[in-house]
Amino acid sequence: MNEFAYAGEVTVRPTSAPGLRELNDYVYFRRNVAGVQREWWHHRFGCELWFLAERDTRTNEVLRVELPSAPEAKAAPEPVLPDTPAA
Amino acid sequence: MSELAFLSPGEARAADGFAPAISSPLARALEGARGIRDLSLAGKLEVRGPDVEWLAADLDVIRITPARALVVCAPEECVELRRSLPGLVVDVTGALAGIVLEGAGLMRRLTDLDLSTLPAAGKFADVPALVSETEGSFRIFFPQEYGHSVIEAVRDAQDGLA
Amino acid sequence: MRLPPQPGERLDRSRALVFSFRGKPVHAYGGDTIGSALFAAGQRVFSRSFKYHRPRGLLCCSGSCPNCMMTVDGTPNVRVCVEPVRPGAVVEPQNVLGSLERDLLAVTDKIGRPFTPVGFYYRTMIRPRRFWPLYEKFLRNVAGLGRVDKHRGRTARFDTEHRRVDVLVIGGGRSGRRAAADAAARGELVLLVDENAGAAEPGEGYEVVAPGRALGIYEGGLVPVDAGSVLLRVRAAQIVVATGAVEQPLVFPGNDLVGVMLPDAARRLIRDFSLKPGDRAVVVAADDKALTILDDLERAGVEVAATIDLREHDPSELSAEGRGGRLRAVTVDGARHECDLLIASGSPQPAYSLLAQAGARIEYDAGRGVFLPATLPPGVEAVGRVTGEVGAIAPARACYGGEGFVCICEDVAVKDLKRALAEGFDSIELAKRYTTVTMGPCQGRLCHLPSIRLYAHEQGTDEAAIGTTTARPPWAPVTLGLLAGRTHEPAKRTALHHRHEELGATIMWTGAWRRPHSYGDAPAEAQNVHEAVGVIDVSTLGKLLVAGPDAAAFLERLYPNRYGDLKQGRVRYGVLSTDAGRIMDDGTIARLGEDRFYVTTTSTGAEAVVGWFEWWNAVWRMDVEIVDLTGAVAAVNVAGPRARDLLGRLTSTDVSNEGFRYLDARHGHVAGVPCLMLRIGFVGELGYELHFPSLHGEYLWDTLLERGADLGVRPFGLEAQRILRLEKQHIIVGQDTDSESNALDANMPWIVKFDKEDFVGKWALEHARERGPRELLVGFEMANGTVPPEGGQVVRSGRPSGRVTSSRWSRELGRAIGLVWLPPELAQEDASFEIRVDGRLEPAHVRLRPFFDPEGEKLRA
Repeated sequence: MNEFAYAGEVTVRPTSAPGLRELNDYVYFRRNVAGVQREWWHHRFGCELWFLAERDTRTNEVLRVELPSAPEAKAAPEPVLPDTPAA
Repeated sequence: MSELAFLSPGEARAADGFAPAISSPLARALEGARGIRDLSLAGKLEVRGPDVEWLAADLDVIRITPARALVVCAPEECVELRRSLPGLVVDVTGALAGIVLEGAGLMRRLTDLDLSTLPAAGKFADVPALVSETEGSFRIFFPQEYGHSVIEAVRDAQDGLA
Repeated sequence: MRLPPQPGERLDRSRALVFSFRGKPVHAYGGDTIGSALFAAGQRVFSRSFKYHRPRGLLCCSGSCPNCMMTVDGTPNVRVCVEPVRPGAVVEPQNVLGSLERDLLAVTDKIGRPFTPVGFYYRTMIRPRRFWPLYEKFLRNVAGLGRVDKHRGRTARFDTEHRRVDVLVIGGGRSGRRAAADAAARGELVLLVDENAGAAEPGEGYEVVAPGRALGIYEGGLVPVDAGSVLLRVRAAQIVVATGAVEQPLVFPGNDLVGVMLPDAARRLIRDFSLKPGDRAVVVAADDKALTILDDLERAGVEVAATIDLREHDPSELSAEGRGGRLRAVTVDGARHECDLLIASGSPQPAYSLLAQAGARIEYDAGRGVFLPATLPPGVEAVGRVTGEVGAIAPARACYGGEGFVCICEDVAVKDLKRALAEGFDSIELAKRYTTVTMGPCQGRLCHLPSIRLYAHEQGTDEAAIGTTTARPPWAPVTLGLLAGRTHEPAKRTALHHRHEELGATIMWTGAWRRPHSYGDAPAEAQNVHEAVGVIDVSTLGKLLVAGPDAAAFLERLYPNRYGDLKQGRVRYGVLSTDAGRIMDDGTIARLGEDRFYVTTTSTGAEAVVGWFEWWNAVWRMDVEIVDLTGAVAAVNVAGPRARDLLGRLTSTDVSNEGFRYLDARHGHVAGVPCLMLRIGFVGELGYELHFPSLHGEYLWDTLLERGADLGVRPFGLEAQRILRLEKQHIIVGQDTDSESNALDANMPWIVKFDKEDFVGKWALEHARERGPRELLVGFEMANGTVPPEGGQVVRSGRPSGRVTSSRWSRELGRAIGLVWLPPELAQEDASFEIRVDGRLEPAHVRLRPFFDPEGEKLRA
């Protein structure tokens, strides 16, 4: 229930000084895919860990859950998008 | 004086005419209560680091994550354990209030945690808590700021079952 | 009329109970429901309908229809047909003016009907608009269900209980019981719930809760069950739905007369309560189970004038006539039968609602003439009549004789649905919302299928094309009190809380914290800090330990400030920013060691900041541990010219100005308690913030007050703190700043170290710096001493041009002061502007420097 808190889509922070448009995109816009989304979760009322999940936003099925990986993976990987037919 | 000594009641000393006293955050709320044991003064240490797995078997340990655990001990043991335990060890004795309750029926009015898979971390009386079993009773640690609220909720649940 | 004891009757004739109905005593046996006892006493009219106040009698006897709703012991809308008798209960009819037999409001049926067709409230009583409150009051008094006594307060206690089971069976009929027994035999933990108290026989190896109404099926196998005074939140790995099928009324002229019943109602009256439902009956049925009523009628001595099996013969005419609302005769294909009981039902519609909520797909079965669950989601099973396993049945006609009531609950008749269709509401979802069909107490159990059938018939299509409306929880009406349960608001209190109460403080909410607003005289408390020494409980501050080899680097990346060069034993103020450059929180950071930092945050921001730190750590994966110490540490700020004197009495640590400088952090014992002392500028006077184990809270507070008594020590609360901090122009995040404010505009440009390589918010702040501010936060003084309201508008040339965020009267300065957001051209020292106060414009002047001790000499004394 609300033991876990949804903490948003994984975003890719610009690596060098971004222009205003790129900064705006990063701060305000999200892909909001209708498909498998890579996202953050927080076990807020439990062990307090922050972890990642891959969830199909259309069916709410959680396909994968993992702890954030080693320092090498600093840039978040692209969310996995299956072919989403135009609604 | 160690950098983190200011966290530890065990570092208090009676000297120069001062006699430091301790009070449980639950003391007032528990006045007149029955069937609730106060564990708030038990020693509690937060241990962080990869060696959490190897903590000695004779310690009262609640493993929270693979790299984080809560060690419960007698208050006088805190200072020594702080030195001897591996990893980052922080005295959180004052951070957590604790109670012991009897009866799954009472627990079910207060939490939706699966009582068959304890110890577990989750919501208890609407606050974050660590729940474990101890000799057939239930032991619950929760942030001491919520002390009064939690006791109110427990006593109310007891009334509801009476 | 009570029959001799019937086999299987639910009565205990040895128990005599008495309750009152309309002030007169009614006798009942043990096991009677209020409804059965009233029926035994001769009552036939049980209620008046919602809109037209038509007399209504027992129709379903199973808690589905609205016909038997009465007010019991002050609780309205109780279905007395399933409500067990409580000795001494006070039962009253509802929605009547006068008596059930002679309801004066029935005038709405006789005269008002032409004026109140479907959707009339969209067309009438619109003008003059100012009379609407009157129209509404009239309508609400004339139509509706029972009344709630608003002043009764909370008289019942409702609890919530959490359950986890392997299998939850919903429905205690034959199939449900079998499924429960099978699961129990397999060793599973099983719970069976049934709507009716009568189904409470214990199970073999499984638990039974009856009455227990499942309200819905939610994600994760969560099923809330209304068990009267307890709401069971059941989580089940497997859910078995055995909710059966509901006999559907037929639609024909006179189908709402008293004396028209569903077969199940007659069956229960005879078998459960040994009551004769009538003297002479006509039976119209569409399936085998319904026709078994004939055996019961015979046993009860009811004469059967005619029986029509719709599978063999579908009449072209079917109508009922009555007098005074009570059935007198039934005409079938020209043959008129005098009778006082008509048992009529169409195909039993499976009660699929819970399955639909769980995600099952529902399809129309033309052969059976009902909607069935077709595919079920994982974790959900259906057994028994709800699956359509009902034997041969005949799909009923949409309507006989072009007339009749479709929705008994809301008084929606055939012509109302036809009219809705004519007005263009052609989908069943629109029909529902326009006519309110299925929106009454039965929630469609008795009228959903008939309404779909009628719509299909009128549009020349079939039920499959019309479809069903979306099923939503709660499946059965439920009391708000039960959903609310016990209402505890988890409040946070510091370890010193009781001391504040004992000192008579006014306690207020800040976020989830309970904090002292003042101890009776905030201005005096503030003054005492300026003149002597004050103490304030700041244990609510968020506190974090940031430790590890990357601790300094972590803080450098997170804050616009510089922390890498903070020396051990020193403290620095910091402002946390988001990547949009907005101010998130502020606080102090003390370096305890090479790789140990002690961070404080605002009281209400603590949780968010801890989350922020932990999240960025999860993203960057640096070698750093973050430990939340908010509750572990109590904190008290000791401030005023005599603060050093007081502290000196309690510690052997060197507290001289040279030994303990402004912005130093020292470890020591204060009154024997291990303590981290931070010398910071909190309220503008010489001050020390003491951080120590929270278990020593009361002790240290007591010692400070005791040992400082002759120095004039006084506790001060949040209001005094506010005044003092405002005198120094310290901002309050969230009060003086909002989600758009950044550190540059909030007049703290020195916080932002643009030469740092990267920190959260750097680029946004660079862009902001380039763009220049739209407004700036500055201090101001009122010319006339009026204190403007917080949120007060700055007005320039008749247009809004800024707003006041903080304002107070300062006794120390003898002036009204505050903080205000102004356009940059106005934000100059001594510039004058006007603020709207109570409709007038009051003059003010900008002050860019702290009002009190602008050089900070007191802090460094």
